[in-house]
Parts: sequence; C-alpha cells; structure tokens
Amino acid sequence: MRRAILTTLLAGLFATQAYAADSIKIAITGPFSGGSAPMGSSMRDGAKIAIAEINAAGGIKVGAKMLKFEVLERDDEAKNERGALIAQELASMNDLSGVIGTVNTGVCLAGDKHLQEKGITKIITPAAGSASMTQWSKAKVKDLSIFRLAAHDGIQAAMVVSEAINRKYTKVAMLYDSTNYGVSGRDDMAEQIKKQGNILQVVTTDKFNIGDKDMTAQLLRAKNGGAQAVLIWGIGPELAAVANGMAKIGLKVPLIGGWTLSMSNFIDNSAKNGNGTLMPQTFIEEPITPKAKNFISAYHKAYNVKRIPSPVSAAQGYDAVFIFAAAVKQAQSIDTKKIKLALEDLKEPVQGVITTWKKPFSTWDPANEESHEAFRRDQVVMGMVQDGHVVFGNDADRKRLISNATSVKGKK
Amino acid sequence: MNQAVIQLMVSGALMGLVYALVAYGFQLTYATSKSINFGQGELVMLSAFFSLTLTNLGLPYYLMIPGGLLFGVVAGLFVERAGVRLALEQKSEGWILMTIILGLFGVSAAENIWGRDDRPFPTPIPTEPMQFFDISITPLEISVAIGVVMIMVIIELFKRKTLLGKAFEAVSADRDAAELMGISATRTIMLSYGLSGLVAALAGILVSPITTVGPTMASALVLKAFSVAVVAGLESGFGVVIVGLFLGSLESLTSFYVGSGWREAPGLVLLILALAVRPTGIFGKAVIRKV
Repeated sequence: MRRAILTTLLAGLFATQAYAADSIKIAITGPFSGGSAPMGSSMRDGAKIAIAEINAAGGIKVGAKMLKFEVLERDDEAKNERGALIAQELASMNDLSGVIGTVNTGVCLAGDKHLQEKGITKIITPAAGSASMTQWSKAKVKDLSIFRLAAHDGIQAAMVVSEAINRKYTKVAMLYDSTNYGVSGRDDMAEQIKKQGNILQVVTTDKFNIGDKDMTAQLLRAKNGGAQAVLIWGIGPELAAVANGMAKIGLKVPLIGGWTLSMSNFIDNSAKNGNGTLMPQTFIEEPITPKAKNFISAYHKAYNVKRIPSPVSAAQGYDAVFIFAAAVKQAQSIDTKKIKLALEDLKEPVQGVITTWKKPFSTWDPANEESHEAFRRDQVVMGMVQDGHVVFGNDADRKRLISNATSVKGKK
Repeated sequence: MNQAVIQLMVSGALMGLVYALVAYGFQLTYATSKSINFGQGELVMLSAFFSLTLTNLGLPYYLMIPGGLLFGVVAGLFVERAGVRLALEQKSEGWILMTIILGLFGVSAAENIWGRDDRPFPTPIPTEPMQFFDISITPLEISVAIGVVMIMVIIELFKRKTLLGKAFEAVSADRDAAELMGISATRTIMLSYGLSGLVAALAGILVSPITTVGPTMASALVLKAFSVAVVAGLESGFGVVIVGLFLGSLESLTSFYVGSGWREAPGLVLLILALAVRPTGIFGKAVIRKV
C-alpha cells in the first residue's frame, strides 16, 4: 500500500515536471482596467497575437522538443501596490521563464526590484518614464535582469523639443500632470531645451492634477505669454481636457508631447480638437510594410476592432514576445537566467513589426542604461492625430521606414 | 489682462453653477427630512452613464433627457427607501453611513456595468466657442447655465405655487405640525428624494459633455457642492447659486494668480470660515431653540 502511494506521488511529481518542461511560461502584466487600460490591454493583446503565431507554428525548438508558450496574465490596475504584490508573486515562481509588460513607471519602481532580486528576466513595455531604468544605474547594480522595449522619455523629450524648434517656434508653454510621469517629463523637457541651445523660451510652466477638467487658468497663462506651442506630459483624459480647453479659449497652437497623446481616450475625448497634435510614436497603424499590414489586420480580426486602442503598445508587446522567443531559442533553455544572457547578446536579427531588431540589448553597463534599452532615436517617428487616427506627422519618417524595410528584404 | 480676469470668472462661474445644482440636491432632502444623500455625486454619475447608454441605443437627445431624468427620480426614491426611511423612523443617524454605502455600491456597479474608462458624452449642442466682447463661451456652457437656472426656478415655483409644493414647505417648516394637518411626512420626504434625484440626473446630463463620463467623475464635484451647500446654508436655493458662482470664479482666479496647485484651496477655506463664523451659512436662518 505504502509503495503504491509512493509511486503515485512520484508519478505525480514527474508528471508536473514533464508538464513544466513542455512549455515556456511567461507572465504578461499591466493595467487592463482604468485610465491606462488602452495601453495595457493593447500591449497584452499584441503580445498574445505573437504568442499565437509562434504556438501555431509548433513553438520553439529547445533541445529535441518543440516548446509552446504558456501565458499568465496579471492586472496591476496601474496601482503601485498591486504591481508590487504581483511582482512578489511572480518572483516566487520557480518555473517562470520571464515577464513582459508594465505600463506605469510607478509600478516598475514598486515591483521590479522583486524580480531583479530573483534574477527573473523582464522586458518592460511600454512604460517610458526614465526612472524605471535609471533606478538601476543610480543604484550601480552590477547585473540586471530588467530590459526595456519602449522609447524612453529621454528620446521622446528630445524629439518633442526639436520638433518645436524645427517648426521655428520660439515661445512655448510647458504643462505636466502632477504624477511621477508628468514631473519627470517636465524635467526631461526642460533639460532638452537647455541642451538644444535655449532657443525655446518657456512662457509658463504649469501643472494639473489627475481628474482635472477645467484647464482655463493654465491655458490663459500660455495664451497671454504668446505661446506658439504647448509642450505637455500627462495621460489621456487630462490631455483631452487640455485640448478641449485650448479650443474653447481660442488658443490655436499645436499640442506636442509624450506618446500618451496617441491614447484612444485622448483621441476620442478631444475629438476634432485633438487634430494636429504631435507625439513620438514607435508604431503607426498604417500598413506601410507587409509585416505591419499582417499585424494590423490580425489584431483587428482577433479583437474585432477597427482601430487598435494603443498601436504603439500593441506593436511593442508583439515585438517583445518575438525578441524573447529569439532569446529562448538561442539559449536552448527555458531557464530565465540563461535567457537573460542570450538577450544581452542576440546573434540573429529578429523580424519585428516595428523594425528588424539587430542586437537590441548588450551586457548591462551601470554607467549607460542604453545597454538594456532597445530603442534608439531613429526607430521613433513623429505621429500626428488626424480625425480619430494617428498618422505620420512627417512624411520623411514614413519614407524612411518603408526604405528600411525594403533594404532588409534586399539583404535576404 | 482685464479680459483674462473676466474670461476666468465666466469659465469658473459656469462650473460653479454645476456645484450649485448638486448642492441644491442636498438642500431639497435636508429641507424635508434633515437628512442628506451623501451619495448624491454617485447619482449624478449613474444617471450620466444611464443617459449615455440611452444615447448609444440610438435615442435622440430630446428623448434621452426625460429618460435620464426618470432614472434619476427612481434612483433617488430607491436611496430614500433603502437607506434613509428606516433610519429616520428610528430617529437614528444611520442614513449617513447608509447613503455613503449606497454611493460606494453605485461606483462598483458602474465599474462592472460600464467599465472604468472615461468616455465622451455626445451632445447635439455645438462646442465651437462664440465671442462676446472677446470672451469665449461655448453654446454648451450656456446650455449648462440655462439648464441649471431653469430647473431651480421650476422647483422653487412648484414649492411655492402648488398644493403639493406647499405640503413640502410645511414639512420643512415643522414636521409634527404638518402631520397633524394631515400631510404625510413620509410621502413628502419621498417626493424630496425624488426631486433630488432628478436634479442629480440633470446635473449629470448637463456636465458630462464637458467633463466626460466615468465612475469617479463626481467625486471632486460633490465635495465642492458640499462646501457650497454649507457656506450658503442648507435652506436657501437662491444662496447656493450665488455661492456657487462665487466659488467657481474664485477657484479659477486662484489657479491663475496663485498657481494651479492651489485650485482646491478657496473651497476649503470658505468651508472652514463658514463653519467658524456662521455655521448656519451665509443665507441660512439662525436656529431658534426653545428650551
């Protein structure tokens, strides 16, 4: 009898182990509800399209076996404390190969330390706040398991400022929301204005709170100062209130700011007042390449929508999975630490929907966060809101992306 | 510069009228029952969501409004029946907690039914600004002002000119005496909660195109409205309009001249001043206690 129990137990043990080794277990985390949900759920859905494609092709060959992806989803509701709890839960799993996600910089700051402690590989996307990576360089961490696939605010602020300069503006107003994200965006913009030669004179620097609807006071100050553009850092609903307020007081200047200006809740709530708004984008929902066309139509079909709520998040989620998959293949292992080493030295280029990623990451260098940042300036374009959609702001960007895509094909 | 001041005051005053309307909802129920629906903001929000659903079902604007208002009345009556009546019968202050709980329940219900996102509220009223002496006002804002003033005038006239309205006044003046005269206080309180729900629904329909609709849309609104109601006094309908206009403009001016971070300060300062100096409110009647 005792032996029988023992065999059953042993069999059970082997069974679970065999099961664990049959799949690559990854977690997708982000806000799937609340004001940041357009980003979180688009990222998740984009990632799931990539996973479905990989699994449909049989999975990834590790050793003699073909392994499929298995996904855990966790909704952090954009709340720092939820994010910390989820990170603790994930850090306690022994068979987790990696984590993809996080939209809010505050959630990164609250949770990522738990993953780093256990050395669990994470690709942050689409949280863009500088602090989520600079926290590690400031702490002089020697070995880092956190990577990022998002145009960080440093790049974005530089683009926002140079866009204003290129348009021959000299006077701008700076608005930001009072969250971590808004304040660090303001600092980045101010620093960039200095760096780019102090050509822009800031007529007013003003903040607003989450939930504010009436921005008349801030905008009147901008108008009285003669601002030719409003540079802004915030999230969807309040950005829409600013755009609507500008229309009301007749401040007819462009709104230029962080990529959050492409969120569906900005575009919908500002309607025609949002037209002409400019923001850095890593992906524009225009089928300019065959890969982009396939991705966009797959997304529309799978989730029955006519417009991706946050195309940038969806595309980054999709590419993050393919980069992660390439690392698994190269590591020939589902061990998160080996995957991390592979990510730092990817030999094969990865065909993504945003671009073809060639060595997106390198070995972590505490003096340079860019070693774990995938995006560089030339992978980011200026997007513009046009009648409910984000289109290319500068035609040169579209042409560059098309020629990039065709040149890669030519090499093949 | 002068023109900026006027622009700020006008924009602020229009928001102030919405505070006044929500504050008026507090007054209606306080008058008859000495109780307040602390979930008034949630009624505003629920009615706005319900009206949005009606609009999405394809109902034209002029049919959606009565539908939304009817929902407000029913919701107001529900609050009275579920949260207030028993507490009042037992002469307990249980209605405070009960109305807060009903409000929280409303937020959860809205999150589950309609989701947590802020949504635009379509309106046929144009949002293009018009210029009056260099001051920009949108027709939408004018519609808010007209709506608020109209509903308050109608309700005040109803209270003064109709028999049912007189019963309302009688119960607010002296509940026991009114009962002795054959007026049912319970029915009158029901009526006041129904009207208060109606006012909340109208506030929701009027303000949503400007602020968008979301489960937390009313949380800031209701605090301001409470300040307005206390500062004006819980008796004077005319008073809430004046105080609402004043507080709205003051907030706008403060955030322009002092800084946008200080926007909430004037409401709180006014509230503290009123409680310290004149607890019955500027337009309130001093309470005479017979010993």
